Order: sequence, then structure tokens, then C-alpha cells
Amino acid sequence: MTPTHVTDTRLRAPAWSAAHRSPGRRVAMRLMLCAMVPLAVVYFAWLLAPERVGHPALYALLIVAELFNAVQALGFWWTCSGERSRPPLRGAESAPGVDVMIPVYDEPVSIVEPTVAAAVAMTGARHTVHLCDDGDNPDMERMAARHGARYITRSEHAGAKAGNLNHALALTEQPYVLVLDCDHVPEPHFLEATLGHLADERVAFVQTPQYYANADTGDVAAAAWSQQALFFGPIARGKDGHDAMFCCGTNVVFRREALEQVGGFPQDSVTEDFELSVRLHEHGWRSRYVAEVLARGLGPEDMASYVSQQQRWARGCLSSLGPVLRSKLPLRVKLHYALSASYFLTGFTVLAYMAFPVVRILTGAQPLASTTADQFLAHFAPYFGLALLGVTFMGGGAYTFKAFALQTASFWIHVQAGIYTLLGRRGTFVVTPKEGAVERQPRAVWPALAAVAVLVGAAAFGLLRDRDPSTLNNVAFAALHVTVLLAGAWPALRLPSPAPAPERAPRALPPASREQEAAAAAARRRREREPLPA
Amino acid sequence: MTATLPPPETTRRRAPARPAASRRGGHAPPGAGGPVSPKKLAGEQLAVAGGQLTAGLGNLLFSLVAARVLAPGAFADLTAFLALYLLIHVPAGSLSAGSALAPELAARMRRRVLAIGGAAGLALAVLSVPLAMALDLSPVLLLAAAAAAPTAGLIALDRGRLYGLGRHARAVGSLLAEPAVRLALGVALAAVLGAAGGAIAIVVAGWAALAVAHLPQTRTAPAGEAPREGLRPGATIAAFALLALIQNQDVLLANAILGDGEAARFAVLSTIGGAAAFATTTIPLMLLPRAGRDALRIAIVLAGLLGLAAVLVVAVSPHALVGAVFGARYEAVGGAVVPYVHAMAMLGVARVLVAHACAARPPAAMLAMLGAVALGHVGLVLAIGDDATGVAYATLTATTALTAGSAAIALDWSPAPMLARARAFATRPDVLLVATLAAAALVIRLLATRGIWLDEATSVKQAKMPVGAMLHELGATDVHPPLHHIVLWLTVRVFGTGELAVRLPSMVAMVALIPLMYVAGRDIFDRRAGYAAAALATVAPFTVWYAQEARMYALFMLFALIAAWYQVRIIRDGGARNWIVYAASAVALIYTQYFGLLFVGAQQLVFAAAMIARRGDRYRLRAWAVAWGTTLPLMALAVIPLMGFALGQFEANEAAGKGFEQPSQTGGGVAAATQAPGAYEALTNAAWAVTGYHSDGTMTSLAALWPLLMLLALVLLGRGRSWSTGALATAAILPAVALFGLGQLKPFVFEVRYFIGAVPLVLLLIGRAVTSWPVRRVPTLLACTVAIGALAAGLADQQFNGSNPRVYDFKGALTQLEGRAKPGDIVVYAPDYIDTVVGYYGDGKLDARPLEKGVPKPRKGHRVFVLASFLDKKPYREQAEKAVKQLDRRYRLVNEQHYPQIRVWEFR
Repeated sequence: MTPTHVTDTRLRAPAWSAAHRSPGRRVAMRLMLCAMVPLAVVYFAWLLAPERVGHPALYALLIVAELFNAVQALGFWWTCSGERSRPPLRGAESAPGVDVMIPVYDEPVSIVEPTVAAAVAMTGARHTVHLCDDGDNPDMERMAARHGARYITRSEHAGAKAGNLNHALALTEQPYVLVLDCDHVPEPHFLEATLGHLADERVAFVQTPQYYANADTGDVAAAAWSQQALFFGPIARGKDGHDAMFCCGTNVVFRREALEQVGGFPQDSVTEDFELSVRLHEHGWRSRYVAEVLARGLGPEDMASYVSQQQRWARGCLSSLGPVLRSKLPLRVKLHYALSASYFLTGFTVLAYMAFPVVRILTGAQPLASTTADQFLAHFAPYFGLALLGVTFMGGGAYTFKAFALQTASFWIHVQAGIYTLLGRRGTFVVTPKEGAVERQPRAVWPALAAVAVLVGAAAFGLLRDRDPSTLNNVAFAALHVTVLLAGAWPALRLPSPAPAPERAPRALPPASREQEAAAAAARRRREREPLPA
Repeated sequence: MTATLPPPETTRRRAPARPAASRRGGHAPPGAGGPVSPKKLAGEQLAVAGGQLTAGLGNLLFSLVAARVLAPGAFADLTAFLALYLLIHVPAGSLSAGSALAPELAARMRRRVLAIGGAAGLALAVLSVPLAMALDLSPVLLLAAAAAAPTAGLIALDRGRLYGLGRHARAVGSLLAEPAVRLALGVALAAVLGAAGGAIAIVVAGWAALAVAHLPQTRTAPAGEAPREGLRPGATIAAFALLALIQNQDVLLANAILGDGEAARFAVLSTIGGAAAFATTTIPLMLLPRAGRDALRIAIVLAGLLGLAAVLVVAVSPHALVGAVFGARYEAVGGAVVPYVHAMAMLGVARVLVAHACAARPPAAMLAMLGAVALGHVGLVLAIGDDATGVAYATLTATTALTAGSAAIALDWSPAPMLARARAFATRPDVLLVATLAAAALVIRLLATRGIWLDEATSVKQAKMPVGAMLHELGATDVHPPLHHIVLWLTVRVFGTGELAVRLPSMVAMVALIPLMYVAGRDIFDRRAGYAAAALATVAPFTVWYAQEARMYALFMLFALIAAWYQVRIIRDGGARNWIVYAASAVALIYTQYFGLLFVGAQQLVFAAAMIARRGDRYRLRAWAVAWGTTLPLMALAVIPLMGFALGQFEANEAAGKGFEQPSQTGGGVAAATQAPGAYEALTNAAWAVTGYHSDGTMTSLAALWPLLMLLALVLLGRGRSWSTGALATAAILPAVALFGLGQLKPFVFEVRYFIGAVPLVLLLIGRAVTSWPVRRVPTLLACTVAIGALAAGLADQQFNGSNPRVYDFKGALTQLEGRAKPGDIVVYAPDYIDTVVGYYGDGKLDARPLEKGVPKPRKGHRVFVLASFLDKKPYREQAEKAVKQLDRRYRLVNEQHYPQIRVWEFR
């Protein structure tokens, strides 16, 4: 066992629960939704009054941004209002056959090995672990052999992760397929907890949370996990409640029949999971979400990794937006896909909001007219306050300011992805790095820093010219944006913290890991006796 | 048989062994029997004290009748005789202590005491003439005293014996015999013979009491048992003699050093105070034979309660009490009744402690302490006893020292361990730091001061009334509950009506807030949060501003903090003590400010939420439900009387056409209290609460920074989800939200003062935020520094910026007027309701009258000053302008002065 294994955060027990089974919660959320709708109506009725039109272009921009965010907010509330915490469900079949696929590209063996070991040690099914290596790494092959996993490689590396999986699909035949990213260490009972849901012949896949075990290793990982927690908490539970949960690329068990019906994993998208889900739902298949952490993975630890991941997601989802809108999905499911895909347009609204104070200070033009700050606050503050309260309540506090700041500072990614999508430029699948960099990464946030410079310059100019309440108000808006942007970009501007001290990590493997080791050894011995199916 | 059976009374005799065990908490047996239960001990004490109280009331009744019947001089003579009588009886009465401790002493000493009493009476009779001259008394009175002398020691011995033997009914009979004879015989004799007649009746009554105490079947065998080891009846008698001296020497000294009028007034005080002391006389005597921890506790509680009851009775309306009981000519001494009765109440407690000490340990230290106090008492009377009040305060000081000293000795208190603990406590780094902050807070609150404001002057005027009249005035004209007024009433009685004196309760509350913030912050969050909260409270503008205002808002903040803190403790730990402290502070909060109800209501919502959250744990849920279900009705019960008071106020104000309206002191256009509050008003009030009062311009600029509140809301995402934070935030925010809603109907209620209880809670939350949000040391220090610096800047602007619209410089204007006005000059002021503050600063120095009564016409050569305030309100502005125009036609405007929120015109 290498030192990496000893301090591997993935071997700790998860510090988060995806389920929320409070009986009054759903009622409370629906009550909040009932309050949110009238507040939104009051705000927009006031905002859309003809006399509010200030500078027409700015006003139009404001209305579009506000409407977009209102739709997103209401969509979030609607999603959460249907949430369902689906428990694990043991299958009726005594030992179903499962192919466990772990796609690998160029990740270090030390990252992949715990995953393979834990996958081999899973119980509750006749399963075979396939290490699908697109990196042709002989160390990886030796490691797979060491753990009794099957090593699969291919001569032509087309289609990125989707191509890799499709290649493995062609070499295997079990009725169920579990896909694990190479950094996601599964729990021993992963298959026992999920296969029961596939007893329903209409279910194509069962998704489980994508838990980041390294959330406490840095600001980026923490913020990224905070965003994940909101998604795999109330949003995923809500989508499941609306039968609209989509596949997230890892920690998901598929029915082979469903995969084969839609032609396997789509290779023409950088978000093959999202596209695959759309296709499956279009074919009438259903999905399930089990709200329990069944695998522990690694999130992006530095800004460049985060940006890379977000760029891929933004481009993939935005490029899917058109197909989603054109699809023959049921309306409710289509709305969910549209909400998820269009989320990556949020960056445009951030850009607009940042522009307003700059334009007001420099030119005097402003979107609204015939109003006072008092009136604006009276209509906006309750709507805004309840929206934030809702996020806090529904997210169980998982969504933090750091997550919001990181998302806001990444506005440019959405803008870039939107423009590329409009231009029809195809993206490439870039694997998210699994280990953080140990240097400052200002280039990863330069657009946010440029925005900060513009805002600070405008605010300084305004203060030098005039300090009347109107200018102060716009300077305060600029300060708000600057603070959020800097908070989001800050992890890229300072040297990362040193690695966690050894005493913070377990000094030895927890009992579960020892059991995994023993089970892996037993499985290895078993496989040495039993030849793998062709 | 007779040789083997003890006499009947010896069977009831207390056990001889001095109960070491009983000092540790057991009970000394009442006789030869076993331990006595606390309940029985309390019952016996109550029965005898009841007899004593009845006897005292009878004696008081006799004095009251005598005061009516006799001329002042004769009454003073009779009182002096009574004092002399007491001087003989009370030291002799100290023999009671000896025979109570050792009942056999009565039989052994009776002959000797009779001989001494007879000799003393003879000596007194022989020296009656020169003594009468020295004491300025009639010789007849001294002869009467001589006739009483033989009874004094005998009564004391026999009563003490009865206490020691547990013959309580007989003791009570002897006590009651005295007032019965005095009233039956004394009133008639006093009417006929004057003071001498009364004195004769008193002597006869003493003999009658002796007869009852000495009746057969209760006497101890004259010979037989030797005194038991360890008892010190002689020292006990000496100690009680010294106590009697301390109790009575002031009236003799007053009679000697004061004129007739003042001596008579002190005689009134002595009579009332004597009743209070008399009520507790039997308690130590009952304690002596049963000294032990339970008996001591019961005796102290009973003596304390009787003393407290006496103080409360006279405190209701001392002037009226004295006037009604002794006649209007003695009313002037009413102000000293409370301190004097307080002194006698403490004497009652001190006697209990002395008795316990005499029964439990060697008496040398106690005797030395008593001697020192007696001497000190004489010195104090001579030093500050210029009048009846001075003598009363001298006695109060002496009895305070006596109580403290006797407690230290009786409870075997040694200063060394306490000093060691205190030293260890005081040198703890956190204590040093918090003490430094508290000292800094005190200095800031003392230095950054301002003059008395209108509302304060009104409160002071009310507090100067007798308490009954004050409460009536509050009920008829005010809109606030009475707790702060009662505190102020007591403060005014003790410290007077100076600016610092009337603000003392607020000052003390806002300095005490500093350590409380630390302790609460440490308890709720952690030590760092406690430090930050205490530092923030030190410079928070509102904690400084309202420390300098003789109103209820400082207490509001203090009680709000305690209630919120203990609610968090309840949610976290439960516990009866936490519930009790919470309920007490919550009720006090409501009695301080009616809007405290909103605060307590918000807390009940938190309790309800916490209860719902515990529904999965049936055991805890049941315990919680019982505690909450008990506390809430008790709180409601405690508040019910206040609701009646509030209803009366509302009806009175409605009848006066005012409702609950009152002049606003908003003083600025930013958050005018004349229209329904909007978002800007909400922002302004929130900004005031944290950053203090500022000029309208500053507030407009501050309010324009509202987008930063959006930033704050975003920063709060995912934070503050603990019960502690939630409870504090709810208690801080909900009352303000409720008042904002109410403000849509009644705009004036949305005023930061009415939800000022939120301020310490917000400071706690800020303290928590600045110490927990940054994860590293330097950013944490930076955040703390920025927060404290921001509040300090706000404080500086609030206190020193002359544009602060809340500053009304009545002090500056009226002090200036006092300097300029000469006899014959007239000051007119508007609006008329500033009469209280004009009265506060100009009472007796200015000829001031409201402008509402018309423009005056001074005599030639004299001047008219017009003082006007609240000129932002149109009616008052027009009233002042009209008066100035009228005066301008007839006189010459020679000067015009501007003060913050006040203008003064001078016409000649």
C-alpha cells in the first residue's frame, strides 16, 4: 500500500448525506413556492410597467436578464418542490451479471488503483471490472492484473470517453453496466443498493451522487463540491421526483438493452452523458436517482481544472439545448432538460448586471426611470431575499457564497461557450485533472480580473467626479460585483495551501478498506481460476 | 421516681452538645429529643415572630396615639423615655440571649439580676435630676425609668428561658401583654398627665409582661444542673447588649445633638425603624438553642423577608405614610424613612448572624467587631448627623458594616481563600482583557456625554414623585411600562437628580453589557467570538448613546441579551435554571418596554420550531413540553398585571385624545416618522442600530450603499444554520419586521428604539462572523479591526458631529439663559411639552412659562427670551415665528442663538 492510499481522502466516510426525508419539508417547499410566485409577479408587474423604461437598450437587457433568472429560479423551486429521496433497493435477482467499466485516459495509477480495488470488492452481483485504458499504460495493465480486473485497451482512440465505453460495451455482455470514473471509489454495496431499481423493466439507468471527497483540500474543491451538493441534493432529488433525472457520466448503472437501443454512448458530444439521457428518455425509458453516496470521488482542485470542467459542461449542455428543444420528450422532462442546459447562459446575465453600474457612472444612462431606490427595494428585496432563503433552505446550507462567487467569476466560460455554440465550433473532450496544481493560475481567471479592473476604474472615476447618492449607489453595485468576482477568482491568485497534514488523514485504512482489500484479493484469486468471457 | 425522673421542663431542654454535626447541616434537637425538621423550625419561628410583630404593632399603635395626643415636645420626651426604657430593657434584653442559649441560667441569675436592676433603679432615681438636665428630659420620666429598671433583666431572662425550653406560647403571651397594658392604660394617662402618664403606663406594662413570663409551671429548678460545656452565655449576653446599643444609641445621640424639631423627626424615624427591628427580635433568640445550618437559613430568610417587607411597605409612599401616621408636620422626614427602615432590616439579619456565631464559635472576634461598629456608629452620627436624615444614613452605614462583619464571622468567612480566588480570577488573561474593555467602555460613556433630553427630563420629573404618585402619573399620561421608572425612582432617592445620577442605571447596564457580551459570546459560540462581541459593544454607538440617556433603552438591550443568551442555552442544554433565568429576563424585558413582547414572541416561535425539530425524540420532547408549558403560563401570569396597567394607559391616552402617539425624535427627513415606513426607512433604522445616529446627509449616503446588503445576503449563503445563530437572528430581526408592518398603520412605531434589543444580538452575530468566516489568523484580525474601526468611526460621528439630528442641546441653551437672565427677565418656550426639561435645568432659576399662554409683557428694562425647539414641525415653527414677530414690534431683538435643534431669541 503506497502512502497515497493512506492519505487518500476517498477512503474517509462521506461527510454529506444526499437524502432528506423530513416529512414536512416538501410541504414547506411548496409553501415557499406559493410565496415566491406572487413576489415574482409583484416585482415583474412593477418592473414591466411602461414608465419604468429608462435607456431602452439597457432596459431590454435588464428585462431579459431578470426574466432569465426568474425562470431559472422558478425552475429551481419547481424542481425542488417535487423532490423524492429514493432509498437503496436490493434486487430480487440473486446474482445479476454486471460489467463494471472504469474508463481511463492518462490519470495516475495511484488515483485509479483504489477505484479498481473497491470495484472488484463490490458485493451483491456477479460482476466483472473492466479497466478501459485509452492511455495504453502498461502500469495500469499490471495494476488491473494485480486486482483481478480485466484490462481493455483499443488500437484507435476515437470518441473520447464515449468511444472508450462503447468499445468496452462491444466486448462485454452482462445485462447491466456500471460506469465509474477512474477516481470514484465505490462502496462495497453499490450494486446491491442500485440494482433493485432496475427490476422495473422501464428503467434505463440508476444514477447515484457524484461525491467529492476532496472538498476540504482547497477553496476550489470546496466551492466545486458546494455546487455539486446543490445539484445532487435537492435538484437531483427533484428531477427524480419528476422522472427527469439525467445521467451524470459516473456512478451510474445502465441497462444494457437500453444502451444498445440508442446506439451506445453518443460520441459526437463532449457531454455524452447528457445527450445519452435525452436519447433514452426520448425512447420512453425512465431514470432513477438513489439519494445515497455510493462512491467517493475527486473534484477539481485548482482553477484550471475547474475551468476545464466547466467549459466542457457549458459547451456540451449549450450545444444540447437546440436538440432538447426539438426533441419529442414529454413536456415536463423537456422542461427539466431545457432548464439544465440553459443554466449555462447565466454568465450572460452576470455580464449585463456588471455593465449597468459602469454604464451609469460613465454615461449617466440607466435601465430604469421614474422610480426611486425606495420603490425598487420595496419590490425587489422580498423577491431576492426569498430566493436566497429558498436556496439556503432547499440546499440545506450546502450552497455557499464561495460556490456562488466561483460560479459568478466563471461567467466568461458561459459567454465563451455560448458564442462558440452560436458559431458552431465543436469542443473537444478534456479530462478533468485529478490532482491540483501547486502554482498560481491567474490566466484561468483573467476575464474576471479584467471585469474587476473595469468596475474598479469606473467606481474610482465616479467617486472622483461626484459623490451624490446616485453615484454612491452605483459604486456600491460595482463594489458588490468586485467583491464577488475577487472572492471567486481568489483561489487562482494565491499559492494553494500545503497538502493536508498527515494527522488529518486516517493513519491506516478504515475497516471497510481492509475488507475491500481482502475481498479484492479473494476476487483476484477467483478470477485467476475462472477465465473472463470473451 | 422523682429521683430518677427529670423535672418536666428539663425534658424539653436542648441537648448540651454544641452540634458540630448540626453546623454541617444537621439540626440541633429542641430538647432531649431528636433533630427538628426545617418545616417545624420555620413554623416555630413564624409563630413567635407573629407574636412579636403583633406586639410591635400594638406598641406602634400606642406611639401613634401618643403622637396625636401629645404636643411635639411631649411626644419627643415620651419617645426619649421609650428610648431610655429600651436602653435599659434592650441591654438587659440581651440576657434573653444568654438564657435562651442556657435556660438554667435564668434560675441561677434571677436574684442577682433583680439586685442589679433594683440597684440600677435606685441609682437612676437618685441621679434623676442631673440626668434629666443632661438629657433635656423631665425628672419624672427618669423616675419612671428607675421603676422599670428591676423588670428589665427579669423579663429578658424569663423570655429567653421560654425560648430555650420551647415554651413558645407562653413567650408570645408575655410579648402581647405589654402592648395590651400600654394601650389600655397609657392612652388615658398620657391624655391626663402628658409624657409622664404614658411613661408610667409603659412601666406597668413591663411588670405585667414579667408576670406572664414568670407564671408557675415554667420556672427552671433553681439548683441542680451545672452549665454545660461549650456554652458561652456571658459572651452572648455581651454581644446582644452591643447590638442593642447599636440599635438605640442613635436616637439618644440625635436627641442630644439635634434641635427639638429635628430630634422629633428622628424620633419618628426611630419609631418606624424600631418597629421593623422589633419584628425580627425574636428570631435570633429562637435560633440560639437550635443553631445549625437549616435553622440559620430559616432565620436569615425570615429576618430578611420581614425586613424587606418593612422596606417595601414604607417605600410605597414614605411621605404620605409619615404624614398620615404622625401628622403633616413630620412629612419632611419621609425621604429618610426608606434608608432607616433598611438599616433596621439589616440589623435584624445581623442579629441572626450574631446569634449563630455566639452559639457556634468563640465570641472574641464577634465582640470586637460589634464594639468597633458601635464606636463607628457614634462617630458617623457625630460626623454626618446634621439632621434626622444624616443620622439615618449614619445608622444605615453602621448596620451595613455590622451585617457584613457578622456574616463574615458567623459563616466563618476568611478573606484569604476568597482573595486568592479573586487574584487568580483577576489575573486570567480573558478577565484582564474584558475588564480592560469594560473600563474603556466606562471611560467612553463618561467622556462622550450630552445634556438631558426631553424624555429623560420627563422621567426624572416622574421619578421625583412618591412611588404611588409616580405610578399613577405613568398610568395616566405615559406610554411606557414601569420597571425603568421604578429603578430610576430608587436611583433618585439614593443619588439625587444630577445628570450622571439619573443616567446611572443606563450607564451601569451598558458597562455590564461588555462582560455579558463576552460571556454570552463565549458560551454560545467560542472565546474569540466573545472577545469580538465585547470589543464591538465597547464602541457600538447605540450602547454609548443609550448609556447616556435616563430612559429604559439600556435596560432593554441588557435584558434582551440575557433572554436571548438563555434561550440558546435552553435549546442547547435544557435545565431548570436556564428556564428560570430566561423567564425572569423575558418578563423584565416586557416590564421595561412594551415592545419587548415582540421580542419574547419571536423567541416563542423559535421554541416552537425547536420543539418541532425534537419531535423524533419523545423523551426530550416531553421534557421540553413540560418545561415550556410551565414557563410560558408563569410568564403570562407575571405579565398580566402589566397588561392591566397598559390598558389603563391606553384608555387614559385615548380619553386625552392622544392614543399612543407621542412626539417623535427622529429629527430628520431620511426616516420621517409621519408616513408609512418604506424600504429606505427600514435601511435607515438598520443603519442607525449598527452605526449610530448621523446627520441626514450621512444617512442618505449610507442608505445609498444598500447594494452592499445584497452582498451581505450572498455572503450569508450556507452560513448561520445552527440553532444558536438562528435563535439570535430571529430575535433580532422578527421584532423589527413586525414593527415595520405595524408602521404601515402607525408610522411612529417603526422607530429603532423600539427594537433596540436587537442591537446586542446583532453585535454578537457580527462578532461571530468576523471571527469565524476568515479561516486564517491575519484575515480574522483584519476583519475584527475593520468592524471595530467602523463602529468607532460611527461613534465619533454620532457624538461629535453637530449635525446629528437626535442631539437637542437643551442644556447648552438653558445654561446660557441662566447666565444671561436677570431677575425680572422672562423666558417663554415652545412647544409646551418641553416644560420638563426647562424645569430640569431652569427650575427655580428662570422665570419660564410656555408660549402657549401668550407672549409676556415684561417690565421696562427687562428682557424676554424665546426658546423654541422641534422647529422641523410646522405648528411649533409657526408658533415661535409668530411670537418673535410680535415681540419684534414692541422690543428690540438683541441676540439670537442657535443650538442643535434649538433656537433662542433675546428681546429687550
